[in-house]
Amino acid sequence: MSDAQSAGGGTWNKPRPNIDHDNAPFWEGLRRHKFLLWRCHTCGAAYWPKAYCRNHDNAPFAENMAWEEASGRGKLFAFNRHHVAFHPGFKSEIPYVYALIELDEGPLVSSTLVGGRQPKDVYDVGQRVEIVYEDHPTEGFTIPRFRIVD
Amino acid sequence: MAKHSSSGKYAIIGLGVVAGPQSGRSERMVAAEAARRAIEDAGLTRADIGGAIDLRRSGGGGDRASYTDAYPRVLGLANGFYFTSGRGGALAGLGIATALSFLDRGIADYVCLMGAVTDWSQAQESRKQGHRGMAHAEKAGYWGKPLGDLRAVSHHSWMAARHMAVYGTTSRQLGAISVAERAWACMNPEAKMHGRPITIEDHQSSPLVAEPYHLLDISLVSDGGIAFILTTADRAKDRPKPPVYLLGQGFDEVSAELWWDKKNFTHMAVGRAREQAFRQADLSLDDVDCAQLYDCFTGEVLFQLEDYGWCKKGEGGAFVESGAIGPGGSIPVNTGGGLLSCYHLGDLTGMAEAIRQLRGEAGERQVKDCNVVLTTGHGGELVSPGMCSIHTCTLLGRHP
Repeated sequence: MSDAQSAGGGTWNKPRPNIDHDNAPFWEGLRRHKFLLWRCHTCGAAYWPKAYCRNHDNAPFAENMAWEEASGRGKLFAFNRHHVAFHPGFKSEIPYVYALIELDEGPLVSSTLVGGRQPKDVYDVGQRVEIVYEDHPTEGFTIPRFRIVD
Repeated sequence: MAKHSSSGKYAIIGLGVVAGPQSGRSERMVAAEAARRAIEDAGLTRADIGGAIDLRRSGGGGDRASYTDAYPRVLGLANGFYFTSGRGGALAGLGIATALSFLDRGIADYVCLMGAVTDWSQAQESRKQGHRGMAHAEKAGYWGKPLGDLRAVSHHSWMAARHMAVYGTTSRQLGAISVAERAWACMNPEAKMHGRPITIEDHQSSPLVAEPYHLLDISLVSDGGIAFILTTADRAKDRPKPPVYLLGQGFDEVSAELWWDKKNFTHMAVGRAREQAFRQADLSLDDVDCAQLYDCFTGEVLFQLEDYGWCKKGEGGAFVESGAIGPGGSIPVNTGGGLLSCYHLGDLTGMAEAIRQLRGEAGERQVKDCNVVLTTGHGGELVSPGMCSIHTCTLLGRHP
C-alpha cells in the first residue's frame, strides 16, 4: 500500500470533517495512514460508511463487524470538475476534480484527485487510483485524497 | 385488472400559487398567502379546513424543519391538526399520502397542503456576506464538505457524469432537456424564464459549474409558495373549479437496492413507485398525456424518461434530442418550465402545473385532451457518497 503524502499543513480554511461516533475510527485510521473499511467477520463483506451487514442477521450494534485496514486502491468510477468555489477556502483550488472511487473491496468513496495525472474528460474513467494522505497535524486530522497510478 | 378502490376517490379542488421574487416578505407570509389563495380557489372558507400540512424540505440538502410560527396561525385557520411532511424535493406526493388517512376517517373534510420557500431572497442576503449560492440551505457536516462537496451540484453532477461515461450520453443531449423546458417556460407567463428562449449553443456556452453541468443544467433558486386543497371525491363535485382526481401513488427508495448495486448514478428509484401507482390507477404509460418530472438537474429528467420506459436505459440522450419532450413532442415534460425554467418549489412546481393542465387552465401551453398527468418527487438526506433516496410517483386525472 502506498504511503504517498501530499503537502498538507498551512491553515485549514475549509469546512472541517464531520467526525462522529460512527466514523471516528475511520478518521483515526487516516491519521495513522491506514485506510479502514467496515468489515463483516461473518461473511467478509466490506462497507463504507458503517452499516449492519445486509447478508445475514447481525449481533447487537453490528458487533460482528469492525474497522479493518483495506487496500486504499480502486478505480475511478465517475467525476466532476468544479469550476466554481462555493466556499472561499476553495478559491485557489478551482478547477478541481471531485471523484467517485470504486474501491477494490467494493464500496464507493469520494474525494478529490491530486497529482499531475488528471482525467481528460468525463468519459475518461476506469483508471487505477490509490489513496494519498494529506496530513493536517495542527488541525488533528488527515484528509484522504486519491491519485491516478496507471 | 381493476383499479384500486382508492383510485378516483380523492380530489384536489383548490390551487393557490405565489410566484416570483418575494423580497422583503417572510416565508410565513408567503406560505399563508398561498394557502389563502387555495382556499378561495376551492370556494371554501378558513373554517372549512380541518387540517393543514406544511410541505418542508427537511432531511434533504436544506433543512427547514425548524421555525417558530407556522402558516395556520398566521392565516387564522381553525384546523384540528398541523404537521410538516416532506423529504428533500419530495413534498406534495408524501403530503397527499399522509392527508388521505385523515380524510378517510372523517377527521377532516378538507386538508390544506402548502409549501413555501424564500431561497432566492435568502441567497441575495447571503451573497452580501460573501457566500455564493444557497449557503444557508445546505446541512452542515456531511461527508464531502471538507473535500469541496458544497452544493447539490457537487454530487448530483456525478449522475450525469456516470451516465455519460457508461452510455455515451453527451452534454448537448442534456442541453436538449434545458432547451425543451425553456420552450415550455416561454409559454408560461408565470415562469421566471418566460420570454427568454435558449438554444443548445446557449446551453453549451453557459458557464461550467461542476462539469459536466453547465449553468443551464441546474434548476433555479426561487421564492414562492404553492398550496392545494385535498378532499374526498363526493365533496369535490359542484366546486368552482373542476376537480383533479388522485388516481394512484407509489414510492421507492434508492437505499433499498440501487445504492448497494452502485446503480444510483445511472438510475432513479422508479421501479416500485411506477408499479404501485399504475396498478392502483389501472393505467399504462401510454395513458399519460404529459409528465411533470422532478428536474433539480437535467440528468434527473433523462434518468426518469428511461426508468419509466418512455425510452430504453441509455437511450435517453437520443430520445430528448429528437424533441420528444418539448412542445409538439410525443411526451410533453415539465410543461410549465419545470424547476429548470419556471421556479423551484420542489415537486409542488410540477403538481401545480399538473392541476392546471387537467383543469384546462394552461393557456398557450395546454396539452390537448389532457386526461392523465404523471408527477414525480425526489429527495432525501445524503448517503455518503451518495444521493437523494426517495422517489414519489403521483398519477392525477381529469376523471375519477
